[in-house]
Amino acid sequence: MANPAGKLSKCFKCDDDAVIRLHYCERSLCAAHFVRMFDKRFRSTVREFRMISKGERVAVGLSGGKDSTVLLNCLHELSKDLPMELVAITIDEGIAGYRNATLQIAKKQAKKLGIEHRVISFKKEIGKTLDAILREQDTEHPTRNTGHTTRNTGHGTRNFLPCSWCGVLRRGLLNRAARELEADKLAMGHNLDDMAQTVLMNIFRNEPSRTSRLLDPPAKGPGFVRRIRPLLRTPEKETAVYAMVRGMDMNYKECPYAQSAFRQLVRSQLNDMEELHPGTKYKVLGSFLAMEKAPGEHPARARFTACSSCGEPGSSALCKFCEMTGKAAR
Amino acid sequence: MRLIIDGRKKAVSHRGDIASLLKKLKVRREEVVVKLNGRLAPETASVRANDTVEVLRVVFGG
Repeated sequence: MANPAGKLSKCFKCDDDAVIRLHYCERSLCAAHFVRMFDKRFRSTVREFRMISKGERVAVGLSGGKDSTVLLNCLHELSKDLPMELVAITIDEGIAGYRNATLQIAKKQAKKLGIEHRVISFKKEIGKTLDAILREQDTEHPTRNTGHTTRNTGHGTRNFLPCSWCGVLRRGLLNRAARELEADKLAMGHNLDDMAQTVLMNIFRNEPSRTSRLLDPPAKGPGFVRRIRPLLRTPEKETAVYAMVRGMDMNYKECPYAQSAFRQLVRSQLNDMEELHPGTKYKVLGSFLAMEKAPGEHPARARFTACSSCGEPGSSALCKFCEMTGKAAR
Repeated sequence: MRLIIDGRKKAVSHRGDIASLLKKLKVRREEVVVKLNGRLAPETASVRANDTVEVLRVVFGG
């Protein structure tokens, strides 16, 4: 249908008005063809990385944001052709004015799709909300009242950003919950943007062992539920458009702690690069995947052991979760 | 044209497509979706004087 007020670009495949321009392949698509392309790419990614086998129990990290909500819906659709048992896990970090809205969306989505849903809170598991942990850490270090917390490592003072606290604790609780729910896989909503940002951040920080953990080799170590990222080839903007076109409830509100993250800087610069050189994010991901497939032992391959304190898997004698919760308890 | 960005309404004079409007507003196209007269539209769509353009930020952390 022609738009009377503006001349919309037409779909590359039909005469309908386009809803999105895919700059990396110089094509515009209407809603129907965009959804078809999105679903096809989702399924081929699951196949390519052999993410899910028939009959497996798959736990989905469901924050209630657009990526995890789209992920849950796509896996639910896929389960009609590839039988799997889905269970959703939401971590409530305790972020006032932010998490409650997405928590409600998560509950509604799981209920709508008839998927078992478990909510795990920082408050119950760790004894404190993320807000409380960060408040206390800021009080401990009054010179840095910026949402950053610090520690002295013996190698100078090092920042613990809010996203580091949240990420480490959330990942730990998600893994534990997925294992307790006897999940074979833990599906995360990480998209192409997240992947490309992480690869670049690890290069900027000279932390190749973190990059080596991104794809999660099948035999990773005791206690780990293998993480899968079916949206890893999907640009973040496209998950938003998909959610809108499919009429999913969304909350487009930014996490109040997000601005302090190093990731924010990398995200902005990567998006500038993508605009100047469409396809940059795919190329960053492609470089990473090519390195992963290179023959021979990865020199920085992370090895996992059981934490000496909690027994959970980690990459050092004392896992990051225990290190941080120990600090939070002080 | 009428512009809605970050929930705020403004009247803006613009001739051209959505891509050039976003550049003028210093908004990264990778971080937003745009609705033209209430419907999702690609950045290649042209904007006319009596159109309503809504810019929605959809890419951020959290």
